[in-house]
Amino acid sequence: MTESAAAGIHPQSAASPAPIAPTKIKVRDLHFYYNGFHALKGISMDIPEKKVTAIIGPSGCGKSTLLRIFNRIYAIYPKLEAKGEIVLDGENILDTGYSMNRLRSKVGMVFQKPVPFPMTIFENVAYGIRHHEKLSRADMDIRVEQALRSAALWDEVKDKLKQSALGLSGGQQQRLCIARGIALKPEVLLLDEPTSALDPIATGRIEQLVEELKNEYTIVIVTHNMQQAARCSDLTAFMYLGELIEFDRTEQIFTKPSKKQTEDYITGRFG
Amino acid sequence: MAGNSSLYLRRRFTNALALTLSTMATVLGLVFLAWILWETLRQGIGALTLKLFTKITAYGEDGGLANAMVGSFIINLIGILIATPIGVLAGAWLAEYANRTRLGESIRFLNDILLSAPSIVLGLFVYTIIVLPTTALTSGNTTFSGLAGGVALALIALPVIVRTTDEMLRLVPSTLREASLSLGIPQWKLTTQILMRSARSGIITGVLLALARISGETAPLLFTAFGNNYMTVNPMDKMSSLPQVIYQYANDPGEAMHAIAWAGAFVLTMFVLLLSLASRLVLSRSKVSHD
Repeated sequence: MTESAAAGIHPQSAASPAPIAPTKIKVRDLHFYYNGFHALKGISMDIPEKKVTAIIGPSGCGKSTLLRIFNRIYAIYPKLEAKGEIVLDGENILDTGYSMNRLRSKVGMVFQKPVPFPMTIFENVAYGIRHHEKLSRADMDIRVEQALRSAALWDEVKDKLKQSALGLSGGQQQRLCIARGIALKPEVLLLDEPTSALDPIATGRIEQLVEELKNEYTIVIVTHNMQQAARCSDLTAFMYLGELIEFDRTEQIFTKPSKKQTEDYITGRFG
Repeated sequence: MAGNSSLYLRRRFTNALALTLSTMATVLGLVFLAWILWETLRQGIGALTLKLFTKITAYGEDGGLANAMVGSFIINLIGILIATPIGVLAGAWLAEYANRTRLGESIRFLNDILLSAPSIVLGLFVYTIIVLPTTALTSGNTTFSGLAGGVALALIALPVIVRTTDEMLRLVPSTLREASLSLGIPQWKLTTQILMRSARSGIITGVLLALARISGETAPLLFTAFGNNYMTVNPMDKMSSLPQVIYQYANDPGEAMHAIAWAGAFVLTMFVLLLSLASRLVLSRSKVSHD
């Protein structure tokens, strides 16, 4: 499918109307099937580099599904199928030949519930690095510290790196998961409702962190919380029933949405 | 209002009835357990002396059970050493590689059949595949052996370990799998280094319960380890074991032999009880550290 054809089918959902940065992930005519159920119906969008793109929409609209295709984590379950194109740095990650190892070192993901590994805090971060790179002890120490600092967790854990990560609070565990993800130096960071299991203070810290991380990473965040999308994203995509309804600058979406459905959703008339 | 209060009364009555019945059922179960412990202790206390642990069965009434205890230890050890690696790996395969596949479901089902297979059948099976061939190969020099007994017990322990490993791994939330795989960590590393670590206490509990199960088995040892009145630590020898000696002494007409059998039964029961307690401890300690 060519770019113009995709744009023709989904005028609003094609390349964002006013490009704010070079495109990092180009999605073209993406369809997804859960055991035969048509969950995503021809999504096309351009996700800009080193910006925060939020995906919002009511439950079941396919926003998490879309995010889970970006690192092909859906592929670990049987009977799920994605068709179309997701071009990351010029290559279609849906090609069967695309190395999973490479994709997952380029695209990191943080989940709804914090899931630290049953290891020490240090090992949680070091474990993933060790799989991809061989580092000396000193280099590893530096890498782990950098990752924990970027995730704004270092000061809280620097004296207990050898303790189990399961003893941390929920918010700390989630920042540890972010540290674990960015320790691999990915280019894209996918956040799947990263604060829905956290209290408001922990949520605030994560949002602040997202703000800082976008200088280095392309961030895509799925959220149930519209205020969160408004607060911390540059672009916002609104999805409904498996379709991308509107994709624009965040302030545009929240002040002058061009579609009736978007307006109804953000003003709380449904969803 | 009157209708409501009669409904409330009826519910309270039903509640009291259900509570009474279930409490009585629990007490009934516990009474038998306490009774068994008490009876084995009462009957065996006379023989519960140092002699029981130091002298061998060759002395009969004047002897003890030392060779049977050592034999039980070796046979159980062989059984657990064979069953644990195979069982844990098979359980991991079922939970992580074959989960929700037709092959996996069939093997899970077959494992459940093995789990409930009569132990004497497993004993006869090992008799035909190990005892008879070794007898033929060594022209009768080696017939029954502790090794054969250990293999028979391994066949009993194996399905228990497969089952618990499989279930404990499937209890690990799938988010942990997703998080690991999304870091590019391959399935084998995920299974052996992360999931098994998460499920470690459950897997250890399964192994301990399997050990408790096999340490009381008599039937599979009759045709495999056979029994031996003398002390041996050579697994290629005939070997005695606690349950087999208890069985033998219980059939003896001598009162003193009965007392030794009761004392042996008490030691065995306490061992199983302690193993169960240990497995409880392993499980509860891991729960504390997870919270």
